[in-house]
This record gives sequence, structure tokens and C-alpha cells, in this order.
Amino acid sequence: MIRRKFFALILTILLAASQFNLAKASPAQAVSQTNTPIKHLVVLMQENHTFDNYFGTYPGADGLPSGTKMPVNPANPAAGYIIPWHIGTTTITDISHNSATYLQQFDNGKWDGFVSALNLHNQDGKIAMGYYDSQDIPFYWNLAGNYVLFDHFFSSAKDGSFANHMYWVAATNPQVPKGQQLSTLLTDVPTIFDRLQAAGVSWKFYVENYNPRITYRNPSTQSNRESQVVWVPLLNFDRFIDDPNLSSHIVDLSQYYVDLQNGTLPAVAYIVPSGASEHPPESPSAGERAVKSLLQELMRSSAWNSSAFMLLYDDWGGWYDHVVPPQVDQVGYGPRVPGILVSPYAKKGYIDSTQLDFTSVLKFIETNWNVASLETRDASANNFLSAFDFKQAPRQAGFLSMSYGVTAVPSKAPAIVIFTTYGLALLLFILAVGFAAIRLRRSQVSVKE
Amino acid sequence: MNTKSEETFNNISTIVPGSTAGSTDVPGTTTIGSTSIPRSRTMAVAGFHEVAISRLVLAISMVAGTLLRLYQINAMGFNTDEAVYAGQAAAIAGVPGLKDIFPIFRAHPLLIQSLLALIYKIQFSDIAGRLLAVVIGLGTIYLTYLTGKMLYGRLPGAVAAFFLALMPYHVTVSRQFLLDGPMVFFATLTLYLLARFGKTQRAEWFYAAAAALGLTFLAKETGIILVAAVFVFLALSPEVRVRFRDLIVAFVLLVLVIAPMPVTLLLAGRGSTGNNYLSYQLFRRPNHPALFYLQTVPPALGIMLIVVAALGIVFLWRERSWRETLLLAWIFVTIIFFQIWPVKGFQYLLPIAPAVAILAGRLLGRLLERNQDGQSQKSPLNYLAIPPLLSWAVVGVLGFSLGFASWQRIQPETSSLFLAGTGGIPGGREAGIWISQNVPLNSKFMAIGPSMANIIEFYGERIAYGLSVNPNPLHRNPAYDPILNPDLQLRNSDMQYIVWDSFSASRSPFFADKLVAYIKKYNGRVVHTEYIPVKDNKGNLVNQPVIIIYEVHP
Repeated sequence: MIRRKFFALILTILLAASQFNLAKASPAQAVSQTNTPIKHLVVLMQENHTFDNYFGTYPGADGLPSGTKMPVNPANPAAGYIIPWHIGTTTITDISHNSATYLQQFDNGKWDGFVSALNLHNQDGKIAMGYYDSQDIPFYWNLAGNYVLFDHFFSSAKDGSFANHMYWVAATNPQVPKGQQLSTLLTDVPTIFDRLQAAGVSWKFYVENYNPRITYRNPSTQSNRESQVVWVPLLNFDRFIDDPNLSSHIVDLSQYYVDLQNGTLPAVAYIVPSGASEHPPESPSAGERAVKSLLQELMRSSAWNSSAFMLLYDDWGGWYDHVVPPQVDQVGYGPRVPGILVSPYAKKGYIDSTQLDFTSVLKFIETNWNVASLETRDASANNFLSAFDFKQAPRQAGFLSMSYGVTAVPSKAPAIVIFTTYGLALLLFILAVGFAAIRLRRSQVSVKE
Repeated sequence: MNTKSEETFNNISTIVPGSTAGSTDVPGTTTIGSTSIPRSRTMAVAGFHEVAISRLVLAISMVAGTLLRLYQINAMGFNTDEAVYAGQAAAIAGVPGLKDIFPIFRAHPLLIQSLLALIYKIQFSDIAGRLLAVVIGLGTIYLTYLTGKMLYGRLPGAVAAFFLALMPYHVTVSRQFLLDGPMVFFATLTLYLLARFGKTQRAEWFYAAAAALGLTFLAKETGIILVAAVFVFLALSPEVRVRFRDLIVAFVLLVLVIAPMPVTLLLAGRGSTGNNYLSYQLFRRPNHPALFYLQTVPPALGIMLIVVAALGIVFLWRERSWRETLLLAWIFVTIIFFQIWPVKGFQYLLPIAPAVAILAGRLLGRLLERNQDGQSQKSPLNYLAIPPLLSWAVVGVLGFSLGFASWQRIQPETSSLFLAGTGGIPGGREAGIWISQNVPLNSKFMAIGPSMANIIEFYGERIAYGLSVNPNPLHRNPAYDPILNPDLQLRNSDMQYIVWDSFSASRSPFFADKLVAYIKKYNGRVVHTEYIPVKDNKGNLVNQPVIIIYEVHP
């Protein structure tokens, strides 16, 4: 009887202790509870390139078809054609990439206005047909070769940066009627961060060279960095400007490195660049270095083993891409953009042709962290789970080279040559000793005789 | 006394003061000490005892030699040279993770690395290299016995092997996977074959010696200097005659045996490697003071042993012959060459160790033979009126002093300083393994110098560069790549880690300071530290950091 009471007491204490532990652990568990091994999603949105512009010659991908050519004047074939050309070190300019330009390039579905549209804007239309290759963006090609390259990732809107950034955070881009303010409309537009905040899932929006004073209210009075308002669409929402509980999540990019070192990387991290955005005429290599730095820090942090890093480009930037984007609604899709997934669970060297757009990122977040979808777009978007192999053990982090295709030069003298030649030397010695021993033996025999 | 007629073999005269007991020089006779005695008598009086005692001494030598060489052999990881040679072996064997880091062709020939590569084909482990070194070291002990036996008799040979087995110099080096130990093995093999040639005057043994000398070169290219020792020996030993034709044949054999090195270099398109390395070695600044060898080698050889060897030369001066000329040429050519050669290394004089041991064994072996035989004929050794037990006591004391010194040298390091070639680097393997398990693949490391860089590359399987490697190709070892712009490399995140170590810092304080400046400038954060227990001023053991790994964040 006493023993039974004793065990009952022990059991009660253990239960109480476990309840206490559960109570203590529950908030953290709620934050980290995911439907995949991915506990940290980092998405970097770079600027203005199409898939063909960056990966048009990437082996095995849906790149530039042979025989591709673009009429200088679609109405007059005799004016000639521009074929895709390697940009290399050629200096380029920012080319027109607004919705009007898109319509001219679209040319009522004929998809042949890429050169003429730019010419109409008094720009060199030839630029649109330029492409980079492995020698120009070796790091990105190495990323593609080691992780996952999406070759059917479309920009969400056939428009410029702002619309696509809006789709990235809210799966919509409300049209502003005359006389109304966008911020007013956005009051009722939920973003993925509202969902995460409500669910207690940690998130941050990292902004390179972030200046909190630059918002839609004063986009250019403080500096000439109005792009911050475009690339950080949250700065067009009153609540994300005024509510400290939300605005405190928008931080400078330097905090990303601090968070990685401290082990406090949030579950969902959005990153936008400033100087290294790759927006023409900026050099892609500057962007590569920035991405390399972001990835290297992630790779050597404790977060790596449960992370996924996505590199995306917000719009087509006026560049040619040979795939006519499917029309899912009045707004999109826009042309394909490069998309790369880096994760310890990513399939190695895999080219994923799933039809995706920026709302696919939202789809993944919603699926992984069990939050509700925002709009029809993200609800119907494809997920990119096919890019992962969650059955594999997390891959060891590995830094990639800034040179493409540079592998150790195989020795012209393989091991077999070394073994053979040195083995022959040993054999020669053995023969010399054997010869001496045999001669000695013979002479001894002759002496005895 | 020996006479020329007694030593005649195939009508060639040699003077043999104390030739091998039971040798076939003169059928029907054998020699003990300086006296040729009818075989029946020697067999009855001393032969049995000599054989038994010699075998016992040899067995003790091999057992003690094995124990000293195996004791805690893997307690510490590779030092820099071991890491390079084992790395080359791994590259030849195609070991994943290392084959792309270590170039196969560096400065040295590849005979020993190829042997290790064969083992690596079956099992990759750092201890395999050390065990191979031990086996080769034990082989050298046995060859020393054979050479001593060939020159002076069974017992002197056994005593010489006993001394070499316990000698700190040989014990220390043959516990490490260095090229010097195997080079000394083949050098001693050459010595043995030359002794056979000197004794028999048969050209075939001279050819075999030439082939062995070729293998000595293939073990380590510095072995080629022993060609000079052979010529000095032949020039100073008129009783040992070599026909010009035999010299030509021997030279051709030597060239054929050493051919694999240039052939493989040419096939690999690395023909300039050897030339660059030679140029660098010839014109580089000395890495140690002129008295380096005088300060480090005699204690490692055993000062008492050197004294006994020298006493043997003095007391047995009247019995001098080509034998001593051979051994002294072997010793002095090696010493003179490396004293002049700008690069100095602790282990470079190791080829003299068997010769010194044989000279010491010669004197003590002769004393022991005299005592066993009980004869009191005219002998220079009569001046040394040593009773039998005392002779053994001298051998025992000498052996004990050598063995004790060896025992002290093989204890775990309790100093944060280190002399290259004397053993493993404390903490190096552990730091490397930590790197291989915790640092992203393809990370690049900056170390103070190439020594630590090599260890990181072998154990960490990551590329590492030495900050102290001179960017000027005229002033650097061509095997090493310099960091042309370290600041830029760090700033661009092309180099992500910095490793400080106390051993390199003590040798290169300037570059150690430079390294620390980079750590501060690029927000270095300690991610791993290796400690070793060292004695403080009061003699207490305290943990002192010897290797610190920093992550840099530009």
C-alpha cells in the first residue's frame, strides 16, 4: 500500500514536471512547428533578369532554342533580325521594363517585339537579346549545378518591380482608382507577414542599407533611394510603418549576419538588396558577391541544416525570354525569371520545371507553417516541394567557387604510371641483387670443385 | 694476424682486420678480432657463444626498437612534412577529399608515397604511414646488424643494431612518416652492399649497391649525395679496386633506377617542378644558424656513442682499412654537405646514424669478442684492460642512456614550441578533424605559415594557405602558393577562416602579428580552440591554447 502510494506520488511529480516543461516549451514549438524539415526560409529578391538572360545556355535547362532570332521591326522582316548575343564585358544600360513595354514586346501574343519595343523607347533594342553565360555569372551557375535551378519560374505580373514585389508579399497588387491612395487600399490587404505574426511564426524583412525614414510618405525627400519603397512593399502599408510590433521586423541587412551568429534567424526571412541588386546597368558580379556572402554566412550557421534559401528576380527587366508566359489572370504571369533553391535538402544539380511564380513562395510558407492563403493566386499556385528530397540526410554545407568549370587538372601521369615506373625501379634492384647472389653462388661452387 | 693471402678471394687482395666470423673469405678458417683462427677451434671455444649472444642482442634490439617506435605512436597527429607526404600518397591512391587538395608532384620523388598509396588503396588512416615508417625503421636496424656483421663480425654487428634501435635520433625519425627514415634504410642497404663488394671484390655487388643508391634517391633526393661518399671511399681505398667498365655499368644502373622521378614528372608535364625546387633550395636563406647540427644532432645520436665510435678509431688505428674509410666517408660527406647546404633540418643527418652505431659497435664488439675468446694475444685493445663484465656493462650503460633519452623524447609534448622533424604537432590533428566535421566544404583557411596549412589540408580536407609564403617566386618554396592579396581575399569572403597556432607564431612573430591584425580587422570570432597541458613557471600543468580557429566576417 505504501509502495503503491509512493509510485503514485512519483508518477504525479513526473506528470507535473512534464506539464511544466510542455507549458514552457509550447510557444517555441509553435514557432518551429513545420510540415517539412525546413525551419528557416530565406528569400532574396534581386532585380531585372530573365531566365534566358542568365541561364539561356545552361546545359539541360529550357534555354535559348537554336535558331532564335528577333526581328528588328516585326512589321518589316526585311529590316533584319537580332540573334542572341553574349554580353560578356559589354557595357549595358537599364532597358525599359514597364507594363507598356511589355505589351509592345508581347505584340498581341506574337512575342516578337523585344527589339522594336526598346527601339521605340529610343534605346538600343539589341540589348534585349543579350545573354550572360558561365564565365559572366560563374557563381550562379555553380549554385545551379549543386542545388536546384527552376526553369519555369515566372514573374507574377507582366509589369515592373512594384507589382511583382506586391505579389511576393501579398499575392495581389490592387489597382488604385483615381482619387484614392494605395495605402488606403492596402489597409484591408493581408500580407504573408500578417499571417505569420498572427500564428506566432518569427519573420523579418532584411533591407540592405535600410533607412526607416524612407516610406511611401516620404519616398524621396530624405534621399534618392526611393527604390526602398518599391522593393520593400511593406513600407506602403500604414500598419507596417506605424505599429512597432510590425515595423520592428523590418531591419537592416546587417542584422541578418547578427541573427545567424546568434542563432536567431527567423523562420521566414525576406531580403532585398540595395547596391548589389543586379539591376542594369549594375554588374551581375556585384550581386553574385553579395549572394555569396549571404549564403556563406547561412552555411556556417546553426540554421543551415534546416534552411532553404531562394534566389529570385523580381521582373524580366526588358530582356528577352523565349517562353511565352501562361496567362493565369489579367495581370500575369510575366516572363520567366531565374530562380535557384539552395538547401541541405535540395536535390543536387536538379532542374525543376514546375510552373512557379512569386506566389509559390507564399504557397510554401503557408504549407510549411500552416497559415491560411491570402488570395486566389497563392491558393492556386504550385509549390516547389518537388525541388527537395526530404528523405536524404541534410547535405553538408559547401562553399562554391566564383569560377565555373575550373576543376583540378587531372594528372597526365595517373597512379598506374607512378606505380609501374617506381615498381620497375624496385624490380631492377632485385634483379641486380639476384644477379650478384647467383654469380657468387656459382663462383663458390667452382672454388669448391 | 691476418695476412693478405688469408683474405684473398678470387685473387684480389684486401686487408681485413677482423672480418666476419664464419665468413667465407678463407675456406677452412674464420677470424675473431684480428686473428685468423682454425674454424674447429673457434667453433669450440667462442663460436657457439658468439652466435647465441649475438642473436640474443639482436633479438633484444628488435624488441626494444619495436617498443620504442610503437609507444604512443599515434598520440599526436602528423606534423607538416608527414601531412604533405601522406597527402601525396592519398592523392596517388585517389582518396576522396584529399586527391584534389594535394598535388602528387611536389619536390620529392614518390617511392615511399607510392608504397603508402598501396596501403591507402585498402585502408586510409594516418597511422598507416607511421606504421610503415616503423617497419622500415626496424628494417634499418636489421640492415645495420648485417652491415656490422659483414664488416666486423656478428657481435659488433649486433651491438651496432642495439645502439641504433635505442638511439633517440633514429627512434624519433622512424616514428614519423618522413622520407628520411626510408632514405636511411636504402642508404644502409647501399652501405651493406658496398661492404659486400669491398669484402668480395665482386663487381656484381657494386652494381647492386648502385641500384640500392638509386632507391635511396627515390626515397629522398638528398640521398644522391652518397654518390660522393662512394667516390671518396673508392678514392681513399686503393685496396678496393673498381674497373672503369664497372663504374659505367653501375652508373647506368643508377640512372635507370632513378629514372622514374624525371619520367613521371615529364609525363605529368611538371618537368619544371624539380628545377624550380632545386633553384629555390640552392639560393634560399638558411633556415637555421650554422651551429644547428652541432647543437641538435650529437645529443640525438648520443654523445657517449660518438665518443665510443671515436675511441674505436683511435684504439684500432693500426687495424684501419677500407672498412673505416667507407664508414667515415659515409659520415663526413653527409655532414659536410648538409653543413654547407643552406636548408637545415633535424633529420637530414640521419644517414650517418647506422655508420656511427657500427663504429661504436666495432670497438665494443671487439672487446666482447676478446673477452669471450679469453685470448690475450697482441692487440691494440690490450691497452684497454677491461674485464668481461665491464665490457657488457659499458654496452648496457650506453644502451640505457640512449634508450632513456629516446623514452624522454617520445613522451607527449608539454611545450607550446616545436622543432620541425622531432614529432607530431600537438592539437593539429584534432583541429583538422574539427574543421572537417564543422566547417563548410571548400572553405579556405589562412594560417601563419605553410606548416599549419599542410596539417589543416590533410586532416581538415580544406585548402589552406600560409601568410608567410613569399609572393616572390624567387624566394619561396615552389610547392607552396602564396596569398597574393590577403586583405582582398578576406574582404571578398574568398577566405573565410584564420588559424593561429603557437608553433608558427614562435617562429614567425611578424606574420603572427599580421594574422592577428586581420583577425581584428575582419571581426574574427573564435569558433574552436585546441589546448595542450604545459608547465607554468611553478611547474604546474596548465592548459594553454596552441591552435585557435577564427571565423572572419568582413
